[in-house]
Formats: sequence, C-alpha cells, structure tokens
Amino acid sequence: MSDAQQGLDKAIRVMKIKVALSEQEELDRELSVLLKWLEPMLTVDTAGTEQVLTSHDALNVVREDHARQGDLAELQEAAPDFAGGFYLVPPIIE
Amino acid sequence: MELRKISIRQAAEAVSCGDISAHQLIEETLKNCSVLNEGLNIFTHLAGIDALEQAKAVDRKIEKGERLPLAGLPVAVKDDICYGVLPTSFGSPAFKEFFSPYTATAVERLMDAGAIVIGKTNLDDMSLGSSTVTSPIGPTANPWDTERTAGSAGAAAVATGLCMLALESDSGGALRQGASHCGVIGLRPTTGRISRYGLNASSSSFGQIGITAISGENIISAMEVLSGFDSRDASTAICKEKPVGQDIVPETRELIIGYPAAAFDHLVPDLREVFEQARELYTELGFQFVDLELALLPEALQAYYVIALAESSSNHSRFDGVRFGAAEEAGDLEELYCESRGTILGREARRRSIFGTLLLSKGNYDLYYRQALKVWNLVRREFTDALTKCDLLMLPAVNKLPRLCSEEAGFPDHWSDDIFCAPVSLSGMPSLSLPAGQLGGLPVGMQLVGRPFSEEILAAACDRMVREIKLFPHGNS
Amino acid sequence: MEFEVVIGLEVHVELQTESKLFCACPNSFVPEPNVNTCPVCLGFPGALPQLNSNAVQQALTASVALNCEIALFSYFDRKNYFYPDMPKGYQLSQYFEPIGSRGYINIEDDNGLLKKIRIGRIHMEEDAGKLVHAVSGDASMVDYNRAGVPLVEIVTEPDLSSPGESRRYLEQLKRILQYARVSDCKMEEGSLRCDANISLRPVGSEVFGSKTELKNMNSFKAVERSLEHEIKRQRDILMRGEKVLTQTLRWDEDKQETVVMRGKLEAHDYRCFTDSELAPIELTPEEVDRARAALPEMAEARAARFIDDYGLPEYDAGVLTSSRCLADYFESCLKTYNNPKVVSNWIMGEFSAQLNNAGLEADQCSFRPSDLAELLQMIDEGLISGKIAKEVLEKAFQSGKEPRVVVEEEGLLQISDQSELESIVEKVVNENADSVEKYRSGATRVIGFLVGQVMKETGGKANPGLVNELLVKKIEG
Repeated sequence: MSDAQQGLDKAIRVMKIKVALSEQEELDRELSVLLKWLEPMLTVDTAGTEQVLTSHDALNVVREDHARQGDLAELQEAAPDFAGGFYLVPPIIE
Repeated sequence: MELRKISIRQAAEAVSCGDISAHQLIEETLKNCSVLNEGLNIFTHLAGIDALEQAKAVDRKIEKGERLPLAGLPVAVKDDICYGVLPTSFGSPAFKEFFSPYTATAVERLMDAGAIVIGKTNLDDMSLGSSTVTSPIGPTANPWDTERTAGSAGAAAVATGLCMLALESDSGGALRQGASHCGVIGLRPTTGRISRYGLNASSSSFGQIGITAISGENIISAMEVLSGFDSRDASTAICKEKPVGQDIVPETRELIIGYPAAAFDHLVPDLREVFEQARELYTELGFQFVDLELALLPEALQAYYVIALAESSSNHSRFDGVRFGAAEEAGDLEELYCESRGTILGREARRRSIFGTLLLSKGNYDLYYRQALKVWNLVRREFTDALTKCDLLMLPAVNKLPRLCSEEAGFPDHWSDDIFCAPVSLSGMPSLSLPAGQLGGLPVGMQLVGRPFSEEILAAACDRMVREIKLFPHGNS
Repeated sequence: MEFEVVIGLEVHVELQTESKLFCACPNSFVPEPNVNTCPVCLGFPGALPQLNSNAVQQALTASVALNCEIALFSYFDRKNYFYPDMPKGYQLSQYFEPIGSRGYINIEDDNGLLKKIRIGRIHMEEDAGKLVHAVSGDASMVDYNRAGVPLVEIVTEPDLSSPGESRRYLEQLKRILQYARVSDCKMEEGSLRCDANISLRPVGSEVFGSKTELKNMNSFKAVERSLEHEIKRQRDILMRGEKVLTQTLRWDEDKQETVVMRGKLEAHDYRCFTDSELAPIELTPEEVDRARAALPEMAEARAARFIDDYGLPEYDAGVLTSSRCLADYFESCLKTYNNPKVVSNWIMGEFSAQLNNAGLEADQCSFRPSDLAELLQMIDEGLISGKIAKEVLEKAFQSGKEPRVVVEEEGLLQISDQSELESIVEKVVNENADSVEKYRSGATRVIGFLVGQVMKETGGKANPGLVNELLVKKIEG
C-alpha cells in the first residue's frame, strides 16, 4: 500500500466530511485508479523546471486603503444558525 | 425576431431604433423558453417578471437616447455565476434557495450594456463536470438528440435560439465541450481577460468565465463589453494594456494553423476523420497548415487534475455549515462539520476534496502537487513554442460524441473527456470552440487556440471557417 | 544540574489600516458583532480578495524598522484548516516567502548588557474572527468583525534566555512598532498577541530540549509569569529524570498556571499552497530604500533630541520616550506651554499616575495635552496653587471636563483678594496667640504653621505668598 492510500482515512478526517462506509470503499478503489492514472505525469523530467506560481501574469494589483461599510442585509440569510448578531456553533471547550 | 439569424450588432440596432422593443423581445423569448425548457431542461431558474421589468427599464433608457451595445438582448447565465436577482444554486441541492448578496462583475457588465438575464442555466453539482448529469434537476438534453446530454446548458440555450449569449464557466473544458456538443461557438478567453469576480470556481487557477454564441462576431461584441480590468479580480490587471478591438486580423492566406497530428490519434477513427476533412476544407479556404507536436497532452491533463483537486479541497472548505448549509443537529463542532460538509458537498465534490487534500499532504506534496506545478510550466512552454511556429493551433474540443443522459460516467473516464481542453486551460491561452463537422447527425467541435489576447483573430478565423457549415438543431437553418 | 532556558516568541500585530487586508470593510473595533463584514471576508462563493496597498506598505515599514532583509518578490499562500473563526477554511498568509527576514532588535539582557535578538521572519497574514464562548454552554458564538484584519507575524530565533528578556523584547518591539506607526500594539485589546516556545537544556548542551508552546497570555506581565511558571515546571520534570512532552499549553490567568490545551493532539498539516486569486507583490530596491528613509524617528533618537533641544535630564527623556504616544503628548503640550522641565515633571508625576490608575495610554484619555498646558498656565497666572492643580488634574482626567471648567464649578480659584484674606489672617492671629508670641520672640519658623492655618481656613485656595506677606505685616505690625 502506498503512502497515498494509507492517507485516505486521514484525508477524510482532515476534510471533515462524513462519508458512508460503502463510499469509503469506493474511494479506496478509486484512489488506486487515480494514482495509476497519474503515473505518467510523475515520470516527466522536470529537473531544473520552476513551478508555476499563479495562473495569471498580473503583479502588484492592490487597492487604495479606503474603508466602506458594506450592505449587511443578506449576508447571514444563508446561515443555518444565526441569533443576536452572532453565527452560532456547538459549544467549543478550549 | 429569429435570434439565430442575426448578429448582436443587428439585434441591438433593431431594439435601439425601435423595430422591436426590449420588452417585446424578452416576452417572446421567455415564451419560447418555457416551451423548450420542458423538453430540454436548460434552466435552473427562469427570470420571468424580473426580466420583463429590466426590459422595460432598457426601453426607457433607449427612449432617453442612451446607446446600449447589447440593448434588450436576452442572455443566459450559468448557475455558478452569482446574480443577486435569482437564486444561485451552484448546481447543489444545498443552495437551491440561495440568493447571492452580490452580482458577478461579468453579469453587471452585460446588464449595464442593456442585456437582459432571462435565466440561470443548468450545471453539474458544484459545477464539477462537463455533462450536467450530476445536476440535482437532472441533465440538460442535447437539442440535436434529446437522448444525449448537451454538455453545457448555455450552449443548448444558444443553439435553440433562446438567447444571443450565454455566460458560462470553463475550467477543464465544460464550456468548450458544450459548444462542441451543441454545434455553437464558445470562447474561453485568455486567463484574466474577463473578470471572475462572482464565479464560484472550484479551481482558482483554471476557473474562467467565457462566452457562448452563434458566431465569432457575436463573441467579440460580447468581449467588448465583458473584457477589461476589474479591481475586484487581480488577474484582470493584464487587461490594462490590452483592450479589445485593437487587433488587426490578417488575411486568411496569412494565417498559419498548427496541426498536432499525433494528438488526433487519441480519437476513434470516425471522429478523427471529421477533423481531417475539416482541415481539407480550411486548406481550400486558404488557411495554411503546419504539422507540429504537442507531446505533453496526457500529462497536462493529469497535472490539471492534481492542481484542480488540490484547489477544490481548499475552495470548498468554506462550506462548513456555519455561514451556509442547513441547520444540523450537532453535539459538537466536529459533528457539525462532518454532517454539514457531507451534505453540502456532492459525491464528486467529496471525492475531489478528499483526493485533493491527500495529494497536498506531507509525503505527497512534492511527488504530486509540486510536480504538477512544474509540468504546468512545461505545458505553458510547449504551447508558447508551438505558437511561434503558427498563429493558431487546431485541437479537437471533444474526444467523443455527447454521452447518453442515462449513462453513468466511470471514474476517471469523465476526467479523460478533458484531454484536449484541460491542457489549453493550463496554457492560459484563449481557445475558441467551433463546429468542425458532424458525425451521426451530431455536431463535432474543435478548438482554435491562439496567443494571449488573440481573441479577435480566433473569432475572425472561426467565422471564415464556419460560414460553410452553419447548421442548427430541429431542422432550422 | 544547571539548566539553560531557550525561548522564542511569535508575535502577531494588527496593522493600523483604514480597511481590512483583502476587502474594504473597516478595520476598527465596533461593539456590535458581524457588522464589519462583506462577501469577501465572510468567504462567500465567488468573492475574491483585493489586496490593501497600505497594509503592504506598513508591513514593509515594520520589516525595515526591525532591520529585516526585504523580499523583493513575495506572495500569499493558503494555510488550510477548519475552525469556525476562519470563514474560508484557509488563512491567507505569506508562508513560503515572508516579506521580511533575518532582522534583529537590541535589548538589555539580565546583566544590563546589550543583546541582539534575531528575528527570523516577518510576514503578512489575515486575522481570524472571534469566538465568544457562551456562559450557558449550549453554543459558541462567532463574530467575523476581526476576520481579515491585516496582521504581521514576527518570529524570533530562539535567542531569549529568560522571562525578563522576553518581556524586554516585547517592550522594545512594541516601542519600535509604535514609533514606526504601524500598530498601536495594545496587548490588552488584542492588537498585539504573543505565543512563546520554551525549552530547557543542560548548560553547555548544543541540542535543544523538547519544547512547549504557550498561548493565551494577555499582558506582558502574563508572558513573564507564564514563562517563569513553565521554567519551574519543566525543570521539575527534568530533575525527576523525566521527559518534557511537546505540547501546547494555555496560560490560566486566574490560577496563574499553564494548562494543557485540548484538541491539539494531531500535529497540524496545513497543506499550504500558493493562492492564485491574488497577484504577487514586487518591490523595487528604490521602494525599500524609500521605506527605510521614511522611517519616523525612533525612541533613542527622540530621547537624544529631548536632551539636546529641551535640556531635559537623561532620566526624563527616557521615561517620556518609552512610548510614542507619551512623547507625542509631551511635545504637543510644549506647543502652548513652553517650559519643558515643568511639563516633564507633571507628565511623569501626576499625569502618569492617573494613566496607570485608569489603565490607559496617553492617547486614550480625554485629558488632552492642551488641557495640561492650560492647567500649568493657571498656576503661573496665580489662579490656582500647585496643590489645587493636582486636584484639578485628577477631576478633569476623570470627568473629561476642561481644567478651567473644573476650577469654576468646584470654586477652586485661588483667593488673592487682600481684604478677604486680611480678615482670615486676623482671625488666625487672634486664635493662635502662643505662636504669634513665639514668632515675636525670634522663632520665625513658626510662620509656616500660621500660613498652614490660613490655608486650612480657606480650603487651600489662598495664595500662600500673599498670606505669608499679610501675616508678617500683621504680626510685626
């Protein structure tokens, strides 16, 4: 088993996604397929090649530091649990 | 007014000089929409009364003497592009009733130019795909053969004359493949030439807004409105130096088309023949061809997916059940996350997030992710080099005819569909998808890929090529 | 066994900008939650970051003020992790290429000698929102007002050898950043936050011992105390021959001890990769030189100037320049009351006492420099005595009223009316025949007692010089 496959469990945990057992088994199979599918890319000789940083060539795109109060009306409408001006989540104990 | 028979310029002129009011035009269009939508399943939401109100407003502006380049013209907008007036679903059941608090720059620009949004078009779940089969409302049927998928609903809307323009997204090729499947023209512009602000892109590097229409000329009319610097999208800063409408398009005989013959070997013989015949036709029209090689297409596709998966895992992290999603009865934070994310993200989004994070994690990062970024650079170089030997590159847009609506795509076959489009996305160059011919009564499209900012040359070449084979579904001509 | 203490500090400082790092929402404290928010800082689908030029400028200023080498090319990366205060599921931060590196600041070590503390890196990043843990315990509440506020993180090399050095490093860092006008550095308000890494090793050892990370220190004093506590804890463990566990600990201010933080067991893998929605930042050597040249006068230079220009003793100059706002206060005061030593005495004495009592800094109190100048003028004009002036300062400081108003309202004006005083003097002379007799017999020192009696009678409002004069006249007749 490759490192990547060993990582599937952890990846599901890290991504915090509930996945049914049957789906996890499918993902496991798909992962083998994926890693095989990606093999040709791994053999490309990239010695001395710089990695691409961004998809565009823009540089130094900045805005002036002016504050503007946004329109708040609709921002929390999609929130499942919003009350008293706060977004609510289950209690967190530090 | 038959939208498929006139240009944007003519249509806008007809509305501007009062031959037909924007209101009349939109009323007529909406009527057609509701009829055709029954069979084809093009729209997630139709605008109805909102569109008519906007049409009235446009009519009032025209009365006051305002010049609007897209006066009263109906446009369709893919449902991964935010538009505050209608729900923006991202193709996800979790966002069925979601209203974006803001509207995408590209949509704003179209509206400012007088265009009317008639509806939001169907898409795959979270826009992850180029078939619409994973849409919660089911796939959009192909107007040429309703057993098959349209690939992109915007292309179907253009092909059936429901709109003059469709605003669509394209990462690995959804827009270009959809145009191919529906026999219309689709442009993925130079990276950064149309603002992405308001596009829910799963991949920040490759997600780009493009245009579908019936001609290259119409595409350029739209580009004149859409292109340009937008302070809300850093990538558009490249537009500051290059406005649309400045290129001088060479004579046909001066245009050299690069033909990477080996790339066409990825196709079944029938399909390859379509392109070979197209090449013959274009040669007769006066285009010059030069054979060349693009050696890295399969590896480019793989690199594309490594990067797209990684970015998708990050871009979709915002869907955490705190600001979006349904209220989950969760005892603790971990449960809230897992339940919410398991629900909001569909099967493909879950797959991409999990695999993406795996490829980014320690131990895999250098092997897969960093390697993909380097391959990306080699692919850019390969395209740049190729375009020193020619003005335009000819590539297929698709590797097969549109899928049957009932067909379940096997993994990773549905990714392999992007074999010709995704590499071009890596290159960052503009690509126009246009009909090259037909196979079994279905249109087959090819891409013309140009140097950065060469959209006008692509469009002009396209119109010279397509003039001969303009065909529409349903026996229209 | 003798142990050597090794400490490294990670300090987060909020930059003083008008707007947030990537959107135009105000960067200001407001009591109502979630009002300084917008689609960008809430991580709405399709919203893109727009970099604040002033934040870049301030980060550059901070970097040159801390003697850093400047990266002429830098950019932002995504640090991916889930927490409800992080709207996008990732934090934009300069992970791979910090704007500043290899800097240093000088402090005094525990023996009073100059010591150079190396700064490994300084980078820009966005702040997270704020979690409020409900007392009732059925939910935690999230406020995103702070999400997206620009920060710089400043990380030292493990050069600090004691809690005292750590505190002095923080004081010096705060002074420099305040002087450079990039942050107000108020730890109590969260605009400066500090985490500490600490380990012990036998004196002479080359290898580092296993370290713990300390969090949640809310004042410089808390940093010092928690480090002291942790040194003792680690020493005890090592003396028992056990191993210190690598852990994250939280300082419990109430119990004055460090507590292991829960939920931090799995080592974080942030799967960092470069963000492609923002454009990289390119600085020219000229811009860096300009930033260096534009650095405001720092504490040491200002103290020297105070000595030269105002003739202040070294001690005064040191105290006044210990914080920028105190020095500003001093100079502002001089504009209307040009007696440096008197102003210095009052600022170091009564004014600082009031500040300490209220837990405020000089720029936070409503007693303005002009108020102090006015107060001192009133003494010079003989309107109030120095003693009364202290009372006026206290009342004005606490009420926010102008000193002149306080004097009027409280009826504190000095009595300089001779006829009014003469009757009181006569009364005192009559009631203290013994003392008057003593005076007449040569014990003139007793005049002080008699003046005191008059002052008592007038509630301290009498002009003491005048009283003295009148008493002598009366007794000597």
